[in-house]
Amino acid sequence: MYQYDVLDKEFLADRSAEFRHQVARRLAGEITEDQFKPLRLMNGLYLQLHAYMLRIAIPYGTVNGAQLRKLAWIARTYDKGYGHFTTRTNLQFHWIKLRDMPDILDALAEVDLHAIQTSGNCIRNVTADPRAGATAEEVDDPRVWAEVIRQWSTLHPEFTYLPRKFKIAVTASAKDRTAAKTHDIGLSLRRERDGTLGFEVMVGGGLGRSPYIGKTVREHLPVDRLLSYLEAVLRVYNRHGRRDNPAKARIKILVAQLGIEEFARQVEAEWALIDASKVDLPDTELARIRSFFARPDFQTLPRVSDAFDAAKAADAGLARFARNNVHAHKVPGYAIVDVSLKAIGATPGDASAEQLEVLADLAERYSLGEARVTHEQNIVLPHVKLDDLAAVYAGLKAAELASPNINLVSDIIACPGLDYCALANARAIPVAQDIARRFEDADRAELVGELKIKISGCINACGHHHVGHIGILGVDKKGEEFYQLTLGGSGAEDAEVGKPLGPALAANQVGQAIEDLVEVYLRERKGEERFLDTFRRTGVAPFKEAVYAEAH
Amino acid sequence: MKALTANRLIDGEVVFWSHGRWVERFGEAELFTDEAPADDAEGRAKSEGTVVVDPYLIEVGETDGGAAPIAYRERLRALGPTNTPDHGKQALGGHDIDVIAHASGVARSGGRLNLIKRK
Repeated sequence: MYQYDVLDKEFLADRSAEFRHQVARRLAGEITEDQFKPLRLMNGLYLQLHAYMLRIAIPYGTVNGAQLRKLAWIARTYDKGYGHFTTRTNLQFHWIKLRDMPDILDALAEVDLHAIQTSGNCIRNVTADPRAGATAEEVDDPRVWAEVIRQWSTLHPEFTYLPRKFKIAVTASAKDRTAAKTHDIGLSLRRERDGTLGFEVMVGGGLGRSPYIGKTVREHLPVDRLLSYLEAVLRVYNRHGRRDNPAKARIKILVAQLGIEEFARQVEAEWALIDASKVDLPDTELARIRSFFARPDFQTLPRVSDAFDAAKAADAGLARFARNNVHAHKVPGYAIVDVSLKAIGATPGDASAEQLEVLADLAERYSLGEARVTHEQNIVLPHVKLDDLAAVYAGLKAAELASPNINLVSDIIACPGLDYCALANARAIPVAQDIARRFEDADRAELVGELKIKISGCINACGHHHVGHIGILGVDKKGEEFYQLTLGGSGAEDAEVGKPLGPALAANQVGQAIEDLVEVYLRERKGEERFLDTFRRTGVAPFKEAVYAEAH
Repeated sequence: MKALTANRLIDGEVVFWSHGRWVERFGEAELFTDEAPADDAEGRAKSEGTVVVDPYLIEVGETDGGAAPIAYRERLRALGPTNTPDHGKQALGGHDIDVIAHASGVARSGGRLNLIKRK
């Protein structure tokens, strides 16, 4: 992974010292809250319902053992012993005290972490495929490009005060694990027939109050022109994006209003004006960045592991874990391990300090020092030897991290919701917990198969409800928590915004409604259809009938 | 009835106004039955910019056994998150916590008063 150099470290130390000074001035009354708020937000510090919340950037979801251990130490020292992984692959602490913030930023800087650009109308943490460097599906390592974008966008003076926040995703596989089409810009790396690498550039995706699926603005962007092209897109947006209304300020609204053809025309015109030699990355710099993501020292191993096969045969739990959480690696004898942060009844995305330390140990001992955070609020150990899978499983199991439910009904995305968030209208976590408990039976969950449930506690859609196979949106209806269900959404390569099922349900009706929807699916499905496939074939009618029949 | 609440600047803790000082328990909060003293307290709180952030009045109702914030959001602030009963003020227990925990009624929208600022 990328290693900070002396300049990077000095910069972080300076930023930390600057914020220490700003906090002191705020506490002394030298600056007001109105003056201080934008400063603390630029350092990822929000004020929520019960305390301050600190959002720490995990750059494109890549994290090492030392960083996980430091996060665990911060959780234990300054928070209540846990952290919360988000759909932006960041980590949030929910019980932070302002007085501790300068020391926390210093501690983060020791392991090259920070909270810069995790808030504000700037370019946020880039999302990349959590299986980068490990999957045979990719045409290049997307982390290289995510790091290029990170360096270019960090404190970019022209793009620090955009009309609204800006999110970029990079994937290099046909199978999209980044929700690229729901980002302001989605970049999909492709190799052309002539062998050249290029990006399909999708723009104008986004969730929130007005959900849009990103549209292709350029089919093939030569990779060496990435930064100048991004600059052109950002310039058109910066100039014409609406600043009068935050609800209409994202690039998706501009793209929708102009139409993708006109938007593309303006970008091309702007691009032609940019002196590419000053913006595009020189080959030498690209090579320098690429060197940080060099192929690790994989061992030459047999394609199958007798030890693993024997362990699987002897342990049904391991066999189930392998079926659901273990995926093919590009190197024979290795596997990609998904670690679920969705134990039945737990808070989706939460990890205790002890669990973070276990993940650090396992990453260092068995995964070449690396772990990844997924936008589905899970962790990936990308490079595990098949021979070590039984030991990794045992380590995870002892830490209650071995839930064999990746992509299954209980692998639910949920935002913090009204339990923590100052913006929320309703709680999301208890809804997720209730649904997970109803599908606690692992055999039944496997029978149901892939089913992505995503829950947001308000229209801002941090829980990606629009693109859930089943989406659940919390609303405040005459002062009570109600939930609107949508069906048929997808955040993957077949991205689609879900369709409303019917009137909002009371909190105590949601769990049963999910069970009813699953029963309809099991009744209607043909062959290998996933829930999403069946819904797309049958339409909403049978599902609506099941949930609302008694009310008719 | 009304109470005055804010988050404490230095640590973000939810606090309530009580006769010129800030307390952490809703059970110790001053309850205003008249408009004028409530508005006075709010005005004074707003001048304490190095102590609290964003003070505001909330609606309080009489429920079984005592007073509780009417808004669900405000009850959550007075208790702590429902997914971790050992975190937040609810962990302290006590009569006032029990009263709030068992209160029912409207959620977020009914809570915060004076949301529209008159210039």
